[in-house]
Amino acid sequence: MAAEAQSIYEAQQALLDEEDPRQHLMFDPLPRHEMNSMVMEAMTTTTPRYWRVVIILGILVAVLLFGAWGNMILTGMGLAGIRRPVFWGIFIVTFVFWIGISHAGTFVSAILRVFKAEFRRPFTRAAELMTTFGLASGALYPLIHLGRVWVFYWMIPYPNERSLWPNFHSPLLWDFLAITTYLLSSTIYLYLPLVPDLAMARDRTTGIRHFAYRILALGWRGTEAEWTRVRVAIRIFAFAIIPVMFSVHTIVSWDFAVSQVGGWHSTIFGPYFIVGAILSGVSAVITILFILRSTLKNMDYFLRPEHFDALGKLLLVFSLAWAYFFFNEYLLHWYGGYDVVRKLLTHHATGPAAWVWYTMLICNFAIPCLTLWNRRIRRTPWAMFIITLLINIGMFAERYTIIPLTLGYQRSPFDWGEYTPRLTEVSIVLGTFCLFIFLYLIASRLIPLVPVWEVQEGQEAHKLRKVGKTEVPSVAELE
Amino acid sequence: MAEDLVHIALFKEDQVDHAAEAVETLRGLGIRDKDISVISGIPFSEKILGRPMAWTRVPWIALAGAFVGFTGTIALILFAAYQYPLQVGGMPIVPIPTTIVVLFELTMLGLLISTFLGVFTETISPSFGPKGYHPKISDGYIGILFACPPKLDEGTHTALKELGAELLHRSEVKDL
Amino acid sequence: MADDQKPKKWGIVIDLDRCTGCQACVTACAMENNIPTAGEDEVGYGRGLHWIRIQRYWHGEYPEITPDFTPVMCQQCGHAPCEAVCPVFASLHSEAEQINLQVYNRCIGTRYCANNCPYFSRVFNWFDYQIPSPMNSYLNPDVTVRSRGVMEKCTFCIQRINRAENQAATEGRSLRDGEVIPACAQACPSDAIIFGDLSDPHSMVSQFARQKRGYQWLAELGTESKVVYLKRGGEYGG
Repeated sequence: MAAEAQSIYEAQQALLDEEDPRQHLMFDPLPRHEMNSMVMEAMTTTTPRYWRVVIILGILVAVLLFGAWGNMILTGMGLAGIRRPVFWGIFIVTFVFWIGISHAGTFVSAILRVFKAEFRRPFTRAAELMTTFGLASGALYPLIHLGRVWVFYWMIPYPNERSLWPNFHSPLLWDFLAITTYLLSSTIYLYLPLVPDLAMARDRTTGIRHFAYRILALGWRGTEAEWTRVRVAIRIFAFAIIPVMFSVHTIVSWDFAVSQVGGWHSTIFGPYFIVGAILSGVSAVITILFILRSTLKNMDYFLRPEHFDALGKLLLVFSLAWAYFFFNEYLLHWYGGYDVVRKLLTHHATGPAAWVWYTMLICNFAIPCLTLWNRRIRRTPWAMFIITLLINIGMFAERYTIIPLTLGYQRSPFDWGEYTPRLTEVSIVLGTFCLFIFLYLIASRLIPLVPVWEVQEGQEAHKLRKVGKTEVPSVAELE
Repeated sequence: MAEDLVHIALFKEDQVDHAAEAVETLRGLGIRDKDISVISGIPFSEKILGRPMAWTRVPWIALAGAFVGFTGTIALILFAAYQYPLQVGGMPIVPIPTTIVVLFELTMLGLLISTFLGVFTETISPSFGPKGYHPKISDGYIGILFACPPKLDEGTHTALKELGAELLHRSEVKDL
Repeated sequence: MADDQKPKKWGIVIDLDRCTGCQACVTACAMENNIPTAGEDEVGYGRGLHWIRIQRYWHGEYPEITPDFTPVMCQQCGHAPCEAVCPVFASLHSEAEQINLQVYNRCIGTRYCANNCPYFSRVFNWFDYQIPSPMNSYLNPDVTVRSRGVMEKCTFCIQRINRAENQAATEGRSLRDGEVIPACAQACPSDAIIFGDLSDPHSMVSQFARQKRGYQWLAELGTESKVVYLKRGGEYGG
């Protein structure tokens, strides 16, 4: 009996030893100048392999994205695979996908900041960069899918001698306004906490880099007034950008929900899309964190298994939430919905493109549920990388189900149509993925990727406190 | 007052208490709060260092921006819709539900852009207090800049050295 | 003169008992409205520019197969789903004619209107489709020739409506019932398509629309379409 109790105790001890606080970044502080050097080294080191990748990506972007797009502008939208009745195809699918990814940054840097989740500190900037570049890639699509892109500016409200204004009733216009708002706000929200790190970079560089950082750092010295105004501004942004983020993806969902298309006209689209976007975005953050950790110098100090663990837990929650919204919609339409939607649901599950539907369910729900409950899997970066890639594939499949696979099977079977993406579309879609990676690679060598001041601020606030017989981590609110 | 020399006292990043003590010492020696300026690599609340709260008008500017966004949007929508009224979809010329969507977006845009402009404007406006900078600040050091008349030179130097500061007589006014 | 100022409510009645599926209306519409040919491959892929199409459904098992034919064009909805969603006001409701206008010059080609049309009556210019020679030398001067990238759809031959109204105004009289005939109605050999002013209770189209056989397609969506179909009796050939 005693021997059994002893081994249980030992097992518990072993677990506690695993809980060495210094495995957490916040309890493993390094002198600031060392952390600065690490981040500067990561930023300024470029290997031949890096340049090879950048150049190849640049060429791919030029050919796949701009080349194919230019060709399509000159020849006509017919180069794409869209047709009557599927007038929106993979371009709009990818558009929604990128806007979804862009929710990553805001989730990490705004929502986690508001909830005082300290684990967000090392990767807020990496996530915010994802938002900015995701929006940059996504915002191309409302232009790409236009039949006459050369007059796109008619969507901008500007006074003209013909008194012509855009139509404020149209969700596409709300899209345009929302994405503009979100892009500008995100860029500013990326910039404001960047200023102290730009000052640090200014102090440690020479030549053209120093000149650029000096201008962008706005003469930052770190006075109390400067800190106060930056922190007040960040606080305002953190609270204000959350409703903007929600509204952006809701408005994107309204592109579909306000129509009378069977399967689109659903009140649940707003929250359903938001939850899907956060699922997609947080997965993308984890994917990128893994790549940063493996390729950028010194990132394994800043990005640790604990971050993958924390984000993985959130991912499981959002996967369950996504499944909840999906099932909500499915059940209601299947049970007592309009005939057109009921038939549509059967088509999704049994039609020629049913594999897309199954991919969506397996990747978005089954895989996260089967893996993310396990702590060891969550703490294994490469496992999280694979899981999150699959989740994003599932989210892409979800949008594909919602858009072309729904438009093709509406109320009159005579007007049904199947859609297959063609080379031009696939090329442009791949091109925007290359653009995203390309921009990210360039940015990673231009600005410090880790907000060192936030990390140090967090480390200062975290202390081990003796409570009873043990030491307990405690966080002080230094603000 | 004649051009008082600006001195800078540097404290290592883990010496917050010493820095707070130093500020008090300086005040005790007769140097006014507005002749002292604290610069640091991470934000320290003014309460920690025993300093008067720094002011900023950014929240008011943000609110003003939101108001401008709100009223501007209403003006735009009403003007645009009625300058050339076009009937679509059986809806009124300016329906309230769609207007709410546009109002929200552009109000938030006004709020956020004006926040940034507020920060930018306040940053480029002239600031008071001793100017000066040292690159060690971005390495986490806490710097206390103070302007003191030459007669207090000795006194301040000894007091600060006791608290463990690294002192520089003429601060390197970096060309920021 | 006051009569011309009064807004008309142009409408169509299609007698499904009479439609033989001959596609004369489709051809006539293409000739009247300068509709280019997309070519066999494009049409096969679903990109034919048919402002009016004959929906054909087969019933029964071989060898007792019967088809039924339904001509479908833009239903010119009173509560058109396509109008509100165009971001640049290229799809408008006409006050004077109570039909839906497509403004080719303004269209930027988002194709939202086409998705939102429950009847899928809108078609898009995927390429710079050409009108084959020699037909491109006798285009209808009253109708715009569209470039690639714009939506188009049935307009109830608004050019013919305008011409008739101008003619009537010149002669100082009001429009007579039956004076305006769109291309499809003109070409139909069995007079299955009847066009006229629904706001005039004595016009032929109003009388036909009041028949018990009359229904509007997808009326439950609240589109208030201007096309009334007269239900077919179920016999072969109408």
